[in-house]
Amino acid sequence: MGRVPYWNISYGLLIDLLSLPAMAVFAYGIYGHWQRIKQGKARIGPGMTLDAWKVGPVYLRALLVKGILGSRIYKKPCTGLAHALLFWGMAALSVGTVLVFLNVLFGLAVFSGGFNRWFMGFGLDLAGVAALIGVLFLLARRLFPPERLTLFKTNSAFVPIEAAIVLLIASGFVIEGLRIALKGADPGSFVGNWLASLLVGVGAAPLIHQYLWWLHGLLALSLIAYLPYSPLAHLLLAPVNAGLDIPIPGPKMGVIDFEAFDGEGEEAPCLGVGKMADFSWKNLLDASTCLQCGRCHEVCPAAQTGKSLSPKNVMGTLGDYLQQGKMDDDSLLDSIGSDTIYSCTTCSACMEACPVSVNQPNAILKMRQHLLMERSEIPEIMGQAHRSLEARHHPFIGTGFGPNDWRKGLDVPIYRKDETTYLLWIGCSVSYEERTQNIARSMVRILKSAGVSFGILEENRCTGDPAKQMGNEFLFTEIAGQNIEEFAALGVTKVITMCPHCFNSFTRHYPLLGASFEVVPHAVLLRELIQSKAIKLANSGATICYHDPCYLGRHNDVLADPREVVSSLGQLVEMPRRGCESFCCGGGGGNYWTEEEGTRINQTRAKEAMDTGASLIATACPFCLLMLTDGLKKYTENAMIQDIAELVCNQMEA
Amino acid sequence: MQIVVLTKVVPDYEVPSADFELVEDRAHPRYTRMIGLYDENAVELGVQLKEKLSAELVILSYGVSDDVQFLRKALAMGADKIVLVEGTSDDPYVIAANLKMAVDKMGGADLILAGRQSSDMDRGVVHGLLAGMLDYPFIPQACSAEQADGGWKVAQITETGKRLLKLSGRGVLSITSIPENVPRIPAVKAIFAAKKKPVEKLPEIAAARMNVRELSVRIPKMESVCELLPAEDLEDTARVLLRRLKEERYL
Repeated sequence: MGRVPYWNISYGLLIDLLSLPAMAVFAYGIYGHWQRIKQGKARIGPGMTLDAWKVGPVYLRALLVKGILGSRIYKKPCTGLAHALLFWGMAALSVGTVLVFLNVLFGLAVFSGGFNRWFMGFGLDLAGVAALIGVLFLLARRLFPPERLTLFKTNSAFVPIEAAIVLLIASGFVIEGLRIALKGADPGSFVGNWLASLLVGVGAAPLIHQYLWWLHGLLALSLIAYLPYSPLAHLLLAPVNAGLDIPIPGPKMGVIDFEAFDGEGEEAPCLGVGKMADFSWKNLLDASTCLQCGRCHEVCPAAQTGKSLSPKNVMGTLGDYLQQGKMDDDSLLDSIGSDTIYSCTTCSACMEACPVSVNQPNAILKMRQHLLMERSEIPEIMGQAHRSLEARHHPFIGTGFGPNDWRKGLDVPIYRKDETTYLLWIGCSVSYEERTQNIARSMVRILKSAGVSFGILEENRCTGDPAKQMGNEFLFTEIAGQNIEEFAALGVTKVITMCPHCFNSFTRHYPLLGASFEVVPHAVLLRELIQSKAIKLANSGATICYHDPCYLGRHNDVLADPREVVSSLGQLVEMPRRGCESFCCGGGGGNYWTEEEGTRINQTRAKEAMDTGASLIATACPFCLLMLTDGLKKYTENAMIQDIAELVCNQMEA
Repeated sequence: MQIVVLTKVVPDYEVPSADFELVEDRAHPRYTRMIGLYDENAVELGVQLKEKLSAELVILSYGVSDDVQFLRKALAMGADKIVLVEGTSDDPYVIAANLKMAVDKMGGADLILAGRQSSDMDRGVVHGLLAGMLDYPFIPQACSAEQADGGWKVAQITETGKRLLKLSGRGVLSITSIPENVPRIPAVKAIFAAKKKPVEKLPEIAAARMNVRELSVRIPKMESVCELLPAEDLEDTARVLLRRLKEERYL
């Protein structure tokens, strides 16, 4: 005879009826989240065409991979495994519970045959064991937490919840054991059968079974009802947040339409974010979803080198303001602090590490926009660079070089409409610093040697990207507008960049302002030229360590091309933090122009590169080159670092 | 209360010397134009005083009509209006006489601020001449001012420190830079609002030129002399470096 649901329980259906108010409380909790999140403004769309499966606003692949499978949680294998055991174990147990319910209501035959043995018996016991192991690990980790969990804010509500889940699963097993002890063995229920062998002969077993059954049922319903009000809400919010996150890396800042402001004067809408109500609904969803796990803090270059910024703390503060309904409280930016907001290098390592798809840099940059565009607040040196960018269209204050000094003695073609194929975009970072001018010169020599049709603009200027990173979207829009106009007049359709920040701006932000041209970063073009044998290189066999620039690697997924270039030049050596997990040089987000507190980020990264024992360090970003050249000075007098274009040029065979 | 800031639009004062060239003895017109370095400090101080005293802040300039687009930055920083005397003279007497005419038209000013020297000619004489013509007292190298007993308490930077002075009425101050008067970055709304603020253009009046004639203008030749110091013992190297810097009178 098969198992009888609600055996030994009078009025067992009551538990099913009680599930209705539990579900109502649950739904009300979800509604509360919705009410808070919907207060946000509309978000700005991506600046590029996305080849992604999308239904309405939901990106299905991200929902499945990041949201439901939780791909990022496994970056910490033990924690990831514990989450998987608990989540999938509980999911299977929930399915089992629903099947029992369907059996009671509609007589669904789940307690017979192979299904009973392998799913209802063995499968659910296995799921219970898995969930129990998972939750015990997570509980132990909360009781003996790593630093990242306790810094700034501890999510203490996890301990009682995890303890309740332990009790829930354990009570389930004991109920099963008592039932089997009294009724006879269940096929496949290896835990229940084993516990039954220990419980045979226990006095008052039927009574204990009844009490435990009700305790188990009520505890389960309480947990369901409490879920949206507790940190367990991440079970729902994380997949939602992942599915709604535009699946491109980086802060996804978009642009602001300033034409709408013209004529508004002081009445124009608020720029950036000065209070919670200024955030988009996605930012508010991020703040609701953040669990304070601190993985962002562990990878943040500012947080790891003693700056005031901790992405965890920023998201914690936003979460608190949202929870407390302080939507119009303009103390938000002062609570977080201007120094903190400006310490962000926009490297997006925090985003990459976040298991629940929170976009921390987007929130930070929006607050920075407010500080600069509304309150005129900016750190002193960054302010000088900003003023230079505003007046001269380049941020290199005190440069000893004019815009064309980099090409003195070099015959560089000027871009001609309908004649030239590629515009070699010079920008500011390879013009005004002596060390980086050689990147541009090397690139010119390589392109000439490869017979590529290219030219430069007669007058080079910045893309405006530093203004955007510093928070001045207005200045960025102004400079970008001039560039777009000039490109259109010249009929530019293909652009080569040497600076990943320019590449990022051209591909992510310029299209939103009406630009339409292809952009190829020099790392990709060099790889193509090598592969097509347009240039031939002598492989020196030297060990070369490659540093991933954030805006090329993590932000734009250009990881393999520069490595292939380096492998053609010598022997590629990797640093422990590489690819999408690379550590920033410290120069992003306008922080090239700053006086750092604490340990210097560039020295930290330079040391990591030195420690590989490589004889050379290569990179593919002028800012990284400058930062790491400076950082290396602490450890060596040797000029060890070069851009891949310089290395290619040096090792080109005639 | 009316505060006036004398503001001059100049060619980029940070053009690297290697890139600097002259056309008719003046900076090449290809260089970006902007408000002079110290003039921006004066505008900042003016804006701070305006905010504190609810004064009217007027930007007074002598130059060409195209300069207005650059002077609008001062409006975005917080000034109320621009008065531009249209003229092209380089002569300090002519400029000062025209600025006086404009100040007289305004009915005088409670305080006139100006950068300690222009960023193109670096002469630092116009404000002094203007003070003389207006018969106002002139305090050079001032860095801050606050209203006191119907006059102004003014801090002046000297070679050895700071001196506090009391100005009993109207006056002209030449402003030098200190961290407190670093020019603010205009807020975006203020930039939009600045487009609507008034600009008054006045025709130039004839005035006698200064009795000084410019004979020639020359760009100094860039020379770099490199001396390598031995670096076996860094402490010793530092001592040698210090001695050499003193010998060459850099310190």
